[in-house]
Amino acid sequence: MLQSYLKLAWKVLWRRKFFTAISLFGICFTLVVLMVASSVLDHLFAPQAPEVRQDRTLGMFRARMTGERSTSTSMPGYMLIDRYARNLAGVERVAVFAMPQTVYSYKDGQRIKSLIKRTDADYWRVLDFQFLEGGPFTDQDVANGAFVAVINATTRDRFFGGPPAVGRTFEADGLRFRVIGVVPDVGVLRLVANGDIYAPLTTSKTDSYKRELMGGFGGLLLAKSTADFFAIKTELESRIRTVPLPVKDFTKLIAPAESLFDFVAGNLFSGRNEDRSHPERLWAVIVAAMLLFSLLPAVNLVNLNMSRIMERASEIGVRKAFGASSRTLVGQFVVENLVLTLIGGAAGFVLSALVLRALTASGLVPYAHFTLNYRVFGYGLGLALFFGLLSGVYPAWRMSRLHPVQALKGAAR
Amino acid sequence: MTRHLLKLVWNRKRSNVLIAVEILLSFIVLVGVTTLAVFYVDNYRKPLGYDVENIWTISIEQHAAGRTSLTVESGPDDAAAPRAPVDRGYVGQRARIAQLMMALQDMPEVQAVAAAVVTPYSSTTMNSDIEVNGRHHRYGMSEATDDFAGAMGLEVMGGRWFSREDDGAVWKPVVVNERLAREMFPDKDPVGQFVTEDEPGPRRESRMRIVGVIREFRKDGEYAAPENFLFTRNRLDDPNVEAAPPRELVIRVRPGTTAAFEERAVTRLRDAEPEWTFQAEPLVQSRETSQRLWLAPLSAAAIISMFLLVMVAMGLTGVLWLHVTQRTREIGLRRAKGATVINIQRQLVGEVVVLTSIACIVGVAIIVQFPLLDVFSVVSPMVYGISVAISLVCIYALSLACAWMPARMASGVAPAEALRYE
Repeated sequence: MLQSYLKLAWKVLWRRKFFTAISLFGICFTLVVLMVASSVLDHLFAPQAPEVRQDRTLGMFRARMTGERSTSTSMPGYMLIDRYARNLAGVERVAVFAMPQTVYSYKDGQRIKSLIKRTDADYWRVLDFQFLEGGPFTDQDVANGAFVAVINATTRDRFFGGPPAVGRTFEADGLRFRVIGVVPDVGVLRLVANGDIYAPLTTSKTDSYKRELMGGFGGLLLAKSTADFFAIKTELESRIRTVPLPVKDFTKLIAPAESLFDFVAGNLFSGRNEDRSHPERLWAVIVAAMLLFSLLPAVNLVNLNMSRIMERASEIGVRKAFGASSRTLVGQFVVENLVLTLIGGAAGFVLSALVLRALTASGLVPYAHFTLNYRVFGYGLGLALFFGLLSGVYPAWRMSRLHPVQALKGAAR
Repeated sequence: MTRHLLKLVWNRKRSNVLIAVEILLSFIVLVGVTTLAVFYVDNYRKPLGYDVENIWTISIEQHAAGRTSLTVESGPDDAAAPRAPVDRGYVGQRARIAQLMMALQDMPEVQAVAAAVVTPYSSTTMNSDIEVNGRHHRYGMSEATDDFAGAMGLEVMGGRWFSREDDGAVWKPVVVNERLAREMFPDKDPVGQFVTEDEPGPRRESRMRIVGVIREFRKDGEYAAPENFLFTRNRLDDPNVEAAPPRELVIRVRPGTTAAFEERAVTRLRDAEPEWTFQAEPLVQSRETSQRLWLAPLSAAAIISMFLLVMVAMGLTGVLWLHVTQRTREIGLRRAKGATVINIQRQLVGEVVVLTSIACIVGVAIIVQFPLLDVFSVVSPMVYGISVAISLVCIYALSLACAWMPARMASGVAPAEALRYE
């Protein structure tokens, strides 16, 4: 039975190549756009290497001081994290990193522009970098202010023209570093793990950062398990409340522990004096944008299918006249739509992979490696299936309930 | 004729409503993209206000750990209560910056060196608000030294740029761009006028006086909407301990200076101040980076909507074609009763025009709601009007193109064959 349906579906699709092409184009193109969009989101937020323990990690990315009239928002300062976020119950490790800074090196008259990220040694334990060469710097290196650095693969190529780099030295921002490790490139949009050069915090040109409450640093709190998140957040919140504020105009300080997604949502959607982040609003915007975008292709598909079913009124009439039940007829149309959607889905999958590869190769986002998001692919395919069934099966069902004589006359209105 | 067409469309409302919805959605997408494009083109045509060639900017970072903040928003009044000035070492930093500028001035390629808080194409933005004669004026602002106008090639239209003359002034000298000057003083010469910063509370001493008007200063570059701009004077020998020093240097070099200059300049600065970090960039390159950021959303939107429209065009052609095949008998009857090929084509195209018009009327009705949601503060009504007009033309062209092929096909119907089925 199913086999004959499939055969029929294949024949029907081939009979009207133009219409099949339009439907396939619509399904395929919609999926590609959804896939690219979700891949970009994945690139920003998803737990990709080296942030493999993201499910256990909370970040400290923002600090805000508010007063009656003024608000000052920035990254937390080193002192805030160092003094208040350590030794929280349920936290295994705390890593501190500075926001990357652009530094210049001049080599043979050419300028090399790199992002230098200064971190502590725990940074390498919270994140899981796969070293291509050597290894990370140690607590000892950080304590001594040793001028050692971990560099990414691209920086290795720029300075040394390829491996091996460990043990060799390079100049950046007027300082000379010795390479002790090489890691793969991390997409420049990954706030936590990006960087061309990673160096110990203590190689900073001054140590004034150690006394700063606000600005320039991020913290990573690796919890023992996700279940501890709530307790950690609450304890940190109550500790932050005890921080003495240096400027009189400001009366309140918040510096929450949150996921990167919450942080971005907080930046975008929280009012000036709202402490809570609103991740659900960011979700709503993303989902609404995707649905809104799918609307036009969906209407196109529905429109096309509705019109095409009329074309087949006489076919339905003949089948009814020979005793086919409504259910069999609907079954046939379901299979037809399934076949169409699956072919479109497969084409969309291949095309998305190609587009993402091109996007990765274009270097539009330095170091970014865009990959397919299978979950979103599933949703997209489901959506296409839903509209396909709605548009193909509903009219078919109505048609199948017509009197065979009328259907044969093609009098469906 | 029109009424007859409307009736024909109404008779097939079930299938026509979907077509109309499709055209409506495409129209809205098109308006979105063209508005962005027209907005950019309109902005690009307007003068920038400064030179881009032969200028380098060097930013100074004093904390090795990066910039101290992402954003600092402040209300209209930072300091309501009188308090003791906080010494953050600004006076010393100012002197060191002045030293650095002298060191650069010594280089043979350098024609002028100036310092500012906000430079063109940078991501730093300062905004403020002022009330003059009961009306609020919002503006972007920067602080700059006396040499800034010369180094950047600003065009002074009235009055003068900051100079030593301002040293003893009891007011705060400011230079505004023409747009802000016109907005604040539509029927007076703005030069010499006093404007008071909107600061309730005891710190009322900061009376601003306009000493000059410059043609334009569009900090965000060619694609950004022109906005009001105001410069205040930053003196490197300012004794005020609370005023932060400018951290961006602007250097005008002789034409023909090569990139090698940059390395020498940065090395010289590093030698003078080993604790600070310097980032040099030719302004031409900053412009390129900034333009890429501006154009990225437009190109993404344009590519996606182009595909959407191709899809809609194909779908519409298909649907209209099917309608024609279903109406073979009707068309055959009309042909038998003596309608010409032209008549038939006119009827079918006319129906599509009616449908498109209905969709566009609804579309425009929806579209005009957006400006009420405060879009006009960024996009001018003219830009909006032009984009709606362009979109209307495109959407009619699209639907006519889609109707053309099926209409031709319909006119090929032979009456005898069509009527045979009756």
